Amino acid sequence: MSSYLSHQWHSFWRARNTNKSLALQIILGIFYLLIFLEIAGLGVFLPFILKESMPGKDPIVLFCSYIIYYFLVGLLFRFQLQELPSLSIQPYLTQNIKRNSMLRFLNVRSLIHIINILPLFVFIPFAVVEILPAYGAVATNCFLISMFALVVNNHFLNMYIKRKSINSSWWFFSIILVIAILKAFDYFKNFSFESTSSNLFVDLLNHPWLFVFPLALATMTFRLNNNYLKSHLYIEELVSHRKMKVSKNYAFLDKYGDVGEMISLDLKLIFRNKRPKSLIILSGVILLYGFIFYPKYLQTGNYTMLFLFALFITGLFISNYGQFLFAWQSSHFDGMMSYNINMKQYIKAKFLLFVTVCSLQFLIASLYGFMGWQILPIQLAAFLYSIGVNSFVTIYAATYNYKYLNLSKSSSMNFQGIGAIQWLQSLLISLGPVGAFYLLNKFIGFWSAILFISTLGVVGLAFNELIINWLVGQFNNRKHKILEGFRER
Amino acid sequence: MIFIKKLKKTYKGIDAVDIAQLEIYAGEVVGLVGNNGAGKTTFFRLLLDLIRASSGEILSKGNLVTVTEEWKSYTAAYIDEGFLIDYLTPEEYFYFVGKLNQLSKADVDDFLHSYKVFFDDAILQKGKYIRDFSKGNQFKIGIVAALLTNPELLILDEPFANLDPTTQLRLVAMIKQLATDHRMCIIVSSHDINHVSEVSSRILLMEKGKIIKDIAGGEAAYDEMVNYFKVKEH
Repeated sequence: MSSYLSHQWHSFWRARNTNKSLALQIILGIFYLLIFLEIAGLGVFLPFILKESMPGKDPIVLFCSYIIYYFLVGLLFRFQLQELPSLSIQPYLTQNIKRNSMLRFLNVRSLIHIINILPLFVFIPFAVVEILPAYGAVATNCFLISMFALVVNNHFLNMYIKRKSINSSWWFFSIILVIAILKAFDYFKNFSFESTSSNLFVDLLNHPWLFVFPLALATMTFRLNNNYLKSHLYIEELVSHRKMKVSKNYAFLDKYGDVGEMISLDLKLIFRNKRPKSLIILSGVILLYGFIFYPKYLQTGNYTMLFLFALFITGLFISNYGQFLFAWQSSHFDGMMSYNINMKQYIKAKFLLFVTVCSLQFLIASLYGFMGWQILPIQLAAFLYSIGVNSFVTIYAATYNYKYLNLSKSSSMNFQGIGAIQWLQSLLISLGPVGAFYLLNKFIGFWSAILFISTLGVVGLAFNELIINWLVGQFNNRKHKILEGFRER
Repeated sequence: MIFIKKLKKTYKGIDAVDIAQLEIYAGEVVGLVGNNGAGKTTFFRLLLDLIRASSGEILSKGNLVTVTEEWKSYTAAYIDEGFLIDYLTPEEYFYFVGKLNQLSKADVDDFLHSYKVFFDDAILQKGKYIRDFSKGNQFKIGIVAALLTNPELLILDEPFANLDPTTQLRLVAMIKQLATDHRMCIIVSSHDINHVSEVSSRILLMEKGKIIKDIAGGEAAYDEMVNYFKVKEH
């Protein structure tokens, strides 16, 4: 048992890409620490936030009313973020190891995941700050045990669903539907699901012995999962089932010749590989940011912040996909460079992909115009800047990315292939125009800021041929270096 | 076809490839033989401008491969899985390569039909992405995709090593036919001195980056190679 875990530990630290420079490791370490502190801080300050946003209500009751929602949404995230830790046991199956200890390993290994650890950083501080003084130690402990049991329950439920069903997207959307319906009930006040949730958990605080129910639930899903695993401990059954793959052709791209062909290749890359696919989901989620941030900044008239979020909303795909622009193809870059592809068309296809996706994001985001007319010019400026400047800067920066990328690993908390250049780049891309916008907006006026940023974008677009030619030269200068880097896996 | 002058590639002070002069003609089948580390794959990558030479130059039909892109339109290669786009189905991959060379879908389908026997019913319409095929089948896909464009120059690295015996023999026959019928220039590296001496009209023996023997193919070449590798053994 412990030797499996130590093997896993080695496999993490001895992975090729873990040997980053010390500085980067320290930066990453600080970054993680900040996230953890922030989340723990959230737990501590949650009562105050709740009091502030809904005065006159008991924060504990409020907190309890969201718990069930939290776990439902958590399940959604698990579908996306968690993988089955099954392949890692392949080399052990033929060794002289008891089945039961192998099962124990699979279960314990799967529990060690950021998504299981993070919630504790919210629940524990909240319980200590708020519940402990009001309900005493016994209730607090029972509450925490219940929460932990529910996390474990969620965890194994997700594992079970993933193992059992061919694709979890059906579950994914039905849970979204359930949440939407419950939320609608709450909204129209027919039946309050939130108060059901709070009643349940406040009851738990009043009668601590009730914690046996969540515990029983967790045990049940654990056993369900365990029994299923026990009877299916064969590699081909552990790996999630495969569907018949169908050849696809994006007919609308056919008329654009080689450039269209390469864009359709990129689209297939995105939709058929785990890591780029999760980027697309992320870009979709970012589109919703407007609901959260726009109203607030519209009210205060903080156009600079509006512009910052408009940049994210319309242009995040460019920086996200673009930072690994060539690295996405690193596994077959030798081929890409010896096929009959003209380098100018290759770079141009990348640029047009940016323009296409970005335009789509911009069109959808234009619906935010209903919130206030100011959003429209701000988003237009951000959009023009993204495709006219940001896209070229990103392609340029990508010619400095020499790191191989594994497409099948999921992207959350995955820093493979990220170097100092990428950090600098994302910083520059967002800070530069936002700074300019701030200064112009402050000292000259709103429209001059919009005009300036838009002009930058339009100029970039107008000279796109020239810039692309220059980029091809830059690419060719470093082509061999990129190829060499991608061959090192 | 190919003209090489004072080509040198140095890694950490060691010459991986060091060829003073070499000319390869259309219609030739050149077998590249040598032990591991002799510089065969490095040489191929240099030909395809995938690595930068330390010095010297390679001319393809009179043009520098490092400067022009012309050579891409008549050169096809399969070196390793790095040439396959692994998230495509084989059909999509063939259409993609075909399209880059102005072949319509129907052209590609016709072409694939003539390779039905070679594929042995294990490749097409399988509903799998290339990444899910076995290594041998991936190799078949790579070789056929290279042939698809009807290149004038074909480069294959160790094609016999990953194929089953039946396919190896088929490939031998195919290479011979392509060279005589289409006057294709084919460069093949191999550890299988039997196949390579049968298939090649000319054999280049590499050792530590240098071409130490440049002989005609056939049985005499086989004997000479057996001799060479035997001497190396003890």
